[in-house]
Amino acid sequence: MRWPWLALGALLIAYPWLVSGTDSAAFLQDMGVLVLLAAIGATGWNIVGGYAGQVSVGHALFFGAGAYLPLLLYQHWLLPPLLGVPFGVAVSLALALAVGYPTFRLVGHYFSMATIAVAELVHIVVGNWDFVGAAIGLQGPATPRGWYDLIFLSSVPYYYIFLAVLALLLLATWRMQQGRVGYYLRAIRAGERAARSLGVPVRRYKLYALMLSATFTSLAGSLYALKNGSIDPDYGFGILVSVRMVIIAALGGAGTLVGPLVGAVILIPLETWTNTVFGGSGSGLTYIIYGGIIVLIARFEPGGLVELWHRLVATRAR
Amino acid sequence: MSLNLLQIVVNGLLLGAVYALFSSGLTLIWGMMNVINFAHGEFVMLGMFAAWLTQRYLAGGPLVFTLAAAVVLFLIGVVIYVAIIRDVMRGPMLAQILATFGLALLLRYAVFWAFSPDVRTLPAGALDHTLDLGGILIRLPRLVAGLVAGALALGMHLLLTRTALGSRLLAVAEDRQAAMLMGIRPDRLQALAWGLAAASAGIAGALMATFFPFSPLTGETYALTAFVVVTLGGFGSVPGAMLAGLVIGLIEQVSAYEIGPIYQDVVVYGLFVALLWLRPQGLLGKA
Amino acid sequence: MSPPLLDARNVAKHFGGFRAVAGADLEVREREIVGLIGPNGAGKSTFFNCIAGDLMPTHGRIVFAGTDVTTLPAETRARLGIGRTFQVPATFEDMTVLENVMVGAFLRHPHRHRARQRATEVLEMTGLADQSSQRARGLGTPGRKRLEIARVLAAGPRLMLLDEALAGLTPGEIQRAIGLVRAIHAQGVTLVIVEHIMEVILSLAERVLVFNEGHVIASGTPQAVVNDPAVIEAYLGRGRQKKSAVP
Repeated sequence: MRWPWLALGALLIAYPWLVSGTDSAAFLQDMGVLVLLAAIGATGWNIVGGYAGQVSVGHALFFGAGAYLPLLLYQHWLLPPLLGVPFGVAVSLALALAVGYPTFRLVGHYFSMATIAVAELVHIVVGNWDFVGAAIGLQGPATPRGWYDLIFLSSVPYYYIFLAVLALLLLATWRMQQGRVGYYLRAIRAGERAARSLGVPVRRYKLYALMLSATFTSLAGSLYALKNGSIDPDYGFGILVSVRMVIIAALGGAGTLVGPLVGAVILIPLETWTNTVFGGSGSGLTYIIYGGIIVLIARFEPGGLVELWHRLVATRAR
Repeated sequence: MSLNLLQIVVNGLLLGAVYALFSSGLTLIWGMMNVINFAHGEFVMLGMFAAWLTQRYLAGGPLVFTLAAAVVLFLIGVVIYVAIIRDVMRGPMLAQILATFGLALLLRYAVFWAFSPDVRTLPAGALDHTLDLGGILIRLPRLVAGLVAGALALGMHLLLTRTALGSRLLAVAEDRQAAMLMGIRPDRLQALAWGLAAASAGIAGALMATFFPFSPLTGETYALTAFVVVTLGGFGSVPGAMLAGLVIGLIEQVSAYEIGPIYQDVVVYGLFVALLWLRPQGLLGKA
Repeated sequence: MSPPLLDARNVAKHFGGFRAVAGADLEVREREIVGLIGPNGAGKSTFFNCIAGDLMPTHGRIVFAGTDVTTLPAETRARLGIGRTFQVPATFEDMTVLENVMVGAFLRHPHRHRARQRATEVLEMTGLADQSSQRARGLGTPGRKRLEIARVLAAGPRLMLLDEALAGLTPGEIQRAIGLVRAIHAQGVTLVIVEHIMEVILSLAERVLVFNEGHVIASGTPQAVVNDPAVIEAYLGRGRQKKSAVP
């Protein structure tokens, strides 16, 4: 059963080289970077939303914190943005506690409502606060002062950095899934009451999941800021950032290891295509499709494509 | 209290009554089915657009377009229940929340695509007056909206507590199994509750459209307002939502006056977080 | 004499004006098997929920193995050694049989390898080994009930509360289940069993308590209790009451 993983890994590693001969090599390589970035964010969301079943619809909170802190360090003190990454994680963890601690002792809806409210609160504050660039946002270094500024002309170095980060996060997720934490989180999702009766410290584990999730998502935000070289309130904390993470994970399979990656591989090219064909995200069509997909998944196949695939394989085996 | 502040207070209460109206529906559904409708803000927005369309193509006055919004949204609510909610209710929390959240996106961007993101307003028409009550200036649309919304919210409360239908709805909220044993069929009542909740959101939207500009994206803010109100009011409590609506309307308008309109939402959302930390059961909920 | 393993005194649970449990006592010694019977709605499950920590009693005191657990949350009580099954099986539907039991095993065995071993042992003992990679939702109700027992057994409880764990089983399955409960008892677990099936109570319980309208109305050996006029009245009277019930 090992070979599909190896094949997938080989494909991912070889991708930039494979498309380098085509006409739109740069475009395809850049899209590869975007796919990996989306997969990283969604993998982060997946920990708390997929495995633990606590649906956050405001994960942009952590993405934005991860994106803003590195550029903030540069904007005000000319430090390499890379140094800001741990600060982004720290802020994200603080926000995670602020949101999760009071709500995880209550019914699941409170957590979901809180995530969207706090994300929006931060969105408004950041958009009006001059220190962090208000509506314009922040910029990173325009030209590299050294390797540590991580500014490359081609997408390819970014691709491999992001791929390494994704691989690490997937490995961490896999190890979590195999051990007690993973089992307890899945039990919480499957039935809190029963989980409690078996000694699972529900509130504490939900917090673990949220904090791990916030860390991963914060990293995604930092990577975005490093590559993009700039950030603004909408691209950092906007609701569509949260939506994208949710739908990518949910479509691929919330609570599965590769679901987020599968979702990213499908949705990012799809979004690029609908934007080109239907005239930019300004038309809103992309989000109609997103909304429709989420509803269909929720209604018919909450386990996403991975679950669907398992079901088809199982029926064929009979 | 200065006259200025008094005027803000009155306006805040009037707006709060409208908040109370659309939040009552949300808390009713929550109490009955343990579902938080993330698309509730979109119901309000759809009410605004229904009013706008009615006013534009049928040239009706406020009464006509409010009624139109009520009917259209009632039907939408029932359809959504039957097509989506009924099946998703029985499943995992993830599916439930995704379903209404996805619906919110779908509705928001469908309207966005069909009508463009422009902000629009409803001409006030017959209601274009400003009343002067002892030095306090109140625009007539706001007064009408507040009074009508307040009356309807009260009406909903009376429906639930004083009629046979209402007690059946409450029985399902209290204990579905027991209600079924008593011969009550939850399915129809739940559909009705969705219709009522959607209709009250639609009416609230139609009323607000007479004095607030709106766009396809304004639903999100109303959804968040509704969440704060139902949390402050207490899980499933319609009287709680009514009281909390007034409180939030008041806080919002006073904040806008004292700190600035940009930060009024920040105050309300900050209050929400404080509420979750300190008193999640709200005003009238059980600890 | 050594102190009882479980000592619940004057436990009450009110829901608004409704008194689901109106002052009940239960004392269980180590290694006993106690039966709890009574008509539907008498408050047995609510009482169980108070002991297990699902609900906080309105008043009363519950002491388990020398510790006052009255206000402790369910997960802490589980760690102290109280295990329970649910009247309506609450298995983890999307997880496999093995994974379900592993969740229980992880309580005493934090490492995956050891937890898996323990889970496999328990599956063997409960006869579920063949279905270990099946999803819980694929099992019928009898399978789910057995899975719940296996799952809580893997968590190593000292006291197990079985809430109608044998309801809805065929006569053959009942016999097997009785055998399983005896085997669990032989391993040193103390049991309190809520059941409607008299055969089960008579063959397993050493002592029986009868619940009605929120409190204990009779207690004694199974034989004595079954012939107690007050108990018979409770069951018949309850039946009469139900027909003219006003909601």
